[in-house]
Amino acid sequence: MASSTTITQQKKPERSLSPWQIARRKFVRNKLAMISSFFIMLVTLMSLSAPFIAPLLSPLPDISKVNIGAMNIEPNGEHLLGTDKSGRDVLTRLFYGGRISLLVGFSATLIVITLGTVVGALAGFFGGFIDSLLMRFTDFVLNFPFLVFVIVLNTILYGIVDGLWVLIMVIGALSWGGVARLVRSKVLAEKENEYILAALSIGCSPFKVITKHLLPNVISTIIVQGTLIFATMIVIESALSYLGFGVPQATPSWGNMLSSANEPDVLQGKPWIWMPPAIIITLTILSINFIGEGLKDALNPKSLR
Amino acid sequence: MITRDFIQDRIDYLDKRENLLEIRNLKKYYPVTGGFFKRTIGNVKAVDDVSFSIRKGETLGLVGESGCGKSTAGRTILRLMKPTGGEILFEGKDITRLSGSKLQKARRDFQMVFQDPYASLNPTQMVGDIIAEPILNYEKRNKKELELEIKTLLKRVGLPEEAYYKYAHEFSGGQRQRIGIARALALHPKLIVADEPVSALDVSVQSQVLNLLKELQIEFDLTYLFIAHDLSVVKHMSDQIGVMYLGNLVELASNKDLYKEPLHPYTQALISAIPEPNPLKRKERIVLKGDVPSPQNPPAGCPFHTRCPVAMEICSQEKPALAEVRPGHQVACHLY
Repeated sequence: MASSTTITQQKKPERSLSPWQIARRKFVRNKLAMISSFFIMLVTLMSLSAPFIAPLLSPLPDISKVNIGAMNIEPNGEHLLGTDKSGRDVLTRLFYGGRISLLVGFSATLIVITLGTVVGALAGFFGGFIDSLLMRFTDFVLNFPFLVFVIVLNTILYGIVDGLWVLIMVIGALSWGGVARLVRSKVLAEKENEYILAALSIGCSPFKVITKHLLPNVISTIIVQGTLIFATMIVIESALSYLGFGVPQATPSWGNMLSSANEPDVLQGKPWIWMPPAIIITLTILSINFIGEGLKDALNPKSLR
Repeated sequence: MITRDFIQDRIDYLDKRENLLEIRNLKKYYPVTGGFFKRTIGNVKAVDDVSFSIRKGETLGLVGESGCGKSTAGRTILRLMKPTGGEILFEGKDITRLSGSKLQKARRDFQMVFQDPYASLNPTQMVGDIIAEPILNYEKRNKKELELEIKTLLKRVGLPEEAYYKYAHEFSGGQRQRIGIARALALHPKLIVADEPVSALDVSVQSQVLNLLKELQIEFDLTYLFIAHDLSVVKHMSDQIGVMYLGNLVELASNKDLYKEPLHPYTQALISAIPEPNPLKRKERIVLKGDVPSPQNPPAGCPFHTRCPVAMEICSQEKPALAEVRPGHQVACHLY
């Protein structure tokens, strides 16, 4: 009885697995990537729910208020991760810091991927003059002194726009060069395939050829690159904030929290202040990179066939 | 189901038909740039002054060795490339200088079957979507009806209905080529340019696909420009045959005439190279010396004179024009 049902089930004209479904199955089978995904989801969830969770875990849920009576407390039952030199609860700030770090990382990545893909796809597809123009502009952007530009722009725009968004836009606008080059090279290789010519011959407009035929075939590379860039962006945010040129000091971010390790006293004697952000940054970057590797394997076109 | 009446009808019809496609002095040059400022220092003449016409319902076979410009000619005729010069008349209308949306609209009537069945289908699209796409580019359609129509088309080209839901990588080369044919047929075009449609397939599969193309030609009232490097394939398919060498059309004749009496020395050499299945029958093989000259620097005079076994003095000085030397038989050679 049981066997007969399985046979009839098999006989049904099933829809074949799309390349995406195959990739998803492969990704789910990758343990490291799955663990990393869960970790990232957990971090994201914790950051998003910070305003609700923080009051439950700490007696000092205010992230910016200075508490003179509670400075530099070592981790104990009340303050699970201790407090910093201004008497703010480290765990609370860690939760809130995740919001900023992930937001900056995600938004900047989105800008980088969008700009890079548009520029790269146009340059690669049309070639010739458009290609030269766009690619020289890309070289120009790539050669910009990143740090100097961020500092100058941050200073100019400070107070006009929310400091956080200045940072996101500046990082995004200066980092898309690599993606543009990558997408261009992929498009150049992919457009030699006859199906692109076929798409033209069946009456697709150039816009449709790019969006419906070219991009779906290079998107796997873009996604993998995107995850890696996400990790880089978090590092850049942390680095800039550590240097004092990133997110305004009042807002906690993982990088800002780390900058308290500037003081030798904190670095040597009070590891609970800077260790948590350092650890969570490391773990997050590591996880994102594992996810990127997993996606790379899962989306490998050679194993699709 | 081919009855006498059917054949008579077909003959009557074929007698009355007109030119569907007319090519006049088609040229496609690729500029060669060099030096610091990328000046044009020469041209690769991929297609040089090619003229021919195809009548409605007929097949013109274009043969030549690889690199002789036959594929370029096919693609230029479909305006997938911009011609350098000449005219392409489709149903009497000049499509040489169409561009943008006008060209896009015109494309509906001429489609292409591609050479490489592995590279010519988008790996991320479902087969049903691949075949539906040309139709949806031109018409708004009811989804259910369209699906039914495409399944009928799939069956017609010899694929199961379930192929609709599959992806190209699940099929063999021959089946993929059938998908490519279905895509070209979807819009019910008038002209199909088949660019070496079977050269990537096994011999056993080749004949199936060729026969399918022949059946479809009658059923859908198609005109073919059939590009191949295999003379026996072209013989099987074509009414007229054009022989190309180094971007030039050197001979153009009906199928029968060309094989019975090849006039151009190059055609003679090509035909002598067709393998003879009967081992007892010995035949003279004309072996050409040397290689095809570089199209970037073609020889002066007749492009073939460097390898021609019967070259004369005039051949290296003057380029022979394509001229009708027998009724319906054109050749570009100083011998005639």
